[in-house]
Amino acid sequence: MAAVASAARWLFSLRAAGAERHWRRLCGAGLARGFLHPTVTGEDAAQRRQVAHFTFQPDPEPREYGQTQKMNLFQSITSALDNSLAKDPTAVIFGEDVAFGGVFRCTVGLRDKYGKDRVFNTPLCEQGIVGFGIGIAVTGATAIAEIQFADYIFPAFDQIVNEAAKYRYRSGDLFNCGSLTIRSPWGCVGHGALYHSQSPEAFFAHCPGIKVVIPRSPFQAKGLLLSCIEDKNPCIFFEPKILYRAAVEQVPVESYNIPLSQAEVIQEGSDVTLVAWGTQVHVIREVASMAKEKLGVSCEIIDLRTIIPWDVDTVCKSKESIL
Amino acid sequence: MKNMPAALVSRVLRRIAQKSARRVPVASCNYSNDATFEIKECDLYLLEEGPPVTTVLTREEGLKYYRMMLTVRRMELKADQLYKQKFIRGFCHLCDGQEACCVGIEAGIKPSDHVITSYRAHGTCYTRGISVRSILAELTGRRGGCAKGKGGSMHMYTKNFYGGNGIVGAQGPLGAGIALACKYKGNDEICLTLYGDGAANQGQIAEAFNMAALWKLPCVFICENNLYGMGTSNERAAASTDYYKRGNFIPGLKVDGMDVLCVREATKFAGDYCRSGKGPIVMELQTYRYHGHSMSDPGMSYRTREEIQDIRSKRDPITLLQDRMVNSKLTTVEELKEIGAEVRKEIDDAAQFATTDPEPHLEELGHHIYSSDPSFEVRGANPWIKFKSIS
Repeated sequence: MAAVASAARWLFSLRAAGAERHWRRLCGAGLARGFLHPTVTGEDAAQRRQVAHFTFQPDPEPREYGQTQKMNLFQSITSALDNSLAKDPTAVIFGEDVAFGGVFRCTVGLRDKYGKDRVFNTPLCEQGIVGFGIGIAVTGATAIAEIQFADYIFPAFDQIVNEAAKYRYRSGDLFNCGSLTIRSPWGCVGHGALYHSQSPEAFFAHCPGIKVVIPRSPFQAKGLLLSCIEDKNPCIFFEPKILYRAAVEQVPVESYNIPLSQAEVIQEGSDVTLVAWGTQVHVIREVASMAKEKLGVSCEIIDLRTIIPWDVDTVCKSKESIL
Repeated sequence: MKNMPAALVSRVLRRIAQKSARRVPVASCNYSNDATFEIKECDLYLLEEGPPVTTVLTREEGLKYYRMMLTVRRMELKADQLYKQKFIRGFCHLCDGQEACCVGIEAGIKPSDHVITSYRAHGTCYTRGISVRSILAELTGRRGGCAKGKGGSMHMYTKNFYGGNGIVGAQGPLGAGIALACKYKGNDEICLTLYGDGAANQGQIAEAFNMAALWKLPCVFICENNLYGMGTSNERAAASTDYYKRGNFIPGLKVDGMDVLCVREATKFAGDYCRSGKGPIVMELQTYRYHGHSMSDPGMSYRTREEIQDIRSKRDPITLLQDRMVNSKLTTVEELKEIGAEVRKEIDDAAQFATTDPEPHLEELGHHIYSSDPSFEVRGANPWIKFKSIS
């Protein structure tokens, strides 16, 4: 494992060095300005805003899971939660304002369908929400907690890292909180500023015992969320909030699973590998097509999907094929 | 020639009248200098006696409070307008309806006292001394803003005012810390830590209570109870809605937060309590916000239009003060209308500034992340974009 990791590191640095040489050539050619540097705001800046641009690119309609329906990201989340509550009688959903449907409408209709003892609001206390969720999970029930924005997850950081992640280990497998899933809207929207834009997956990426998953699209989101809920380890599921309405795809109505810790090669290529997750996958797709068009560079795109434990093999195999 | 003295006198009088154009012409000055009002008695917790039930309001004070409350009200409505015109982006939490809280608190403390609150802060920013221009320019993200255009609605600061904090409840321990500094320095200053009814359920507030009581910190914890934590009403979020009792071992006061005089007297009482070294005290201000939680919230899905109208007609803080002052002859409706016109002009000028001031330079994007000499280089969206962090 360590050998693989160090091999991966060497390969990355090689690639990075190559890429940097390439980049310096670009800078010299003055092409870089047009590509990636933000334009300097001019006198009429008052009304112009610099917002990171991307276009959501839907995947082709999946055929192997039965009937599909057009859904956006928050509808696919609702569908996943609906399937979970139907299948698992011990499943409960709780968080701030989830009862009326949630601030992003992810839980619309669930309280009416499953009752107020299965979908309920909590007071304003993230630490309490996660701690409470751990307690529910320890007794064997399925707890699906919502943290209203990923930026608010920090009061719960201690509960996640010190309590949830280590429960199985420190009790010698006598207890575990594997049936806990924490869902949270994640990532920038352009106007969220300090407390509605953060992407905190890196803080959790070094904590053994939990899984962190970030989908790129409605189809991926439903499958990955269902896998997180059914996974026997505590999972954190970050939902890119900018995609809630912007991402529309055909998503199967029945439940299905997308395996965790498996990265997906979205596009094959031979010159450089680009690894991304969440919203950035769509930015990278555009970058890859620009690179192909303007520089003749063939990019391989990997959607990491699970941040921890991450799919080392797929990424390394991608490197090996170039050499 | 005979008319000369008369003409002279009239010219002199006219000049006097022009000079004091803002003040009432000498001829019709029939105002009383002050008046005594009865105010609602505060509910007490762990206290033998509370703030007085009558208070004296001078004409000068009354006009000052009226002007301040009206400025806050108009400023919030202007912010509403600018948000809908997309000059203000992001999130905007307005406090119209809660003017008596910020103005009353300011009236009860000294400028050298310290205040910290959470994000519904525009009113407190103004009462603590930031000009309307600076506030609106900060909302629109311009150079002239009080945080140089980098903070926005939730992050405005000035001397002895520590914001403007996004995470609810996080300002509780901060306020206790500021109170510790006051006690340590021995300068008779206190810290007022404001939070909302939603934040009252956060663990950090309980931690701050404990520390403040243990070390007898001069901290006034003020819960602005506007009945709703975003969209959740108090009963659905709190096991006990007696927020003034939630300090448990800390004495508390329940105050009518729509009456600026009530808030003033309670704040003075609480301030004196802390300054005498008895430790912290909790104040619950019963108030109401007309707007929704933020500009993205219409505010109608969890409360009725009738409820809002009811409060507006019966308990509006500005109307309350206006009626009191006019009925006791401290002022006239015309004088208040004049003040209204001046306030409107001030707000319009400020809005004009806020929409035309340039945005900060792009080079300043990384400033003030770190304080370091030589300047620290912060990575941008890719490893080859670097911003200098000069501070």
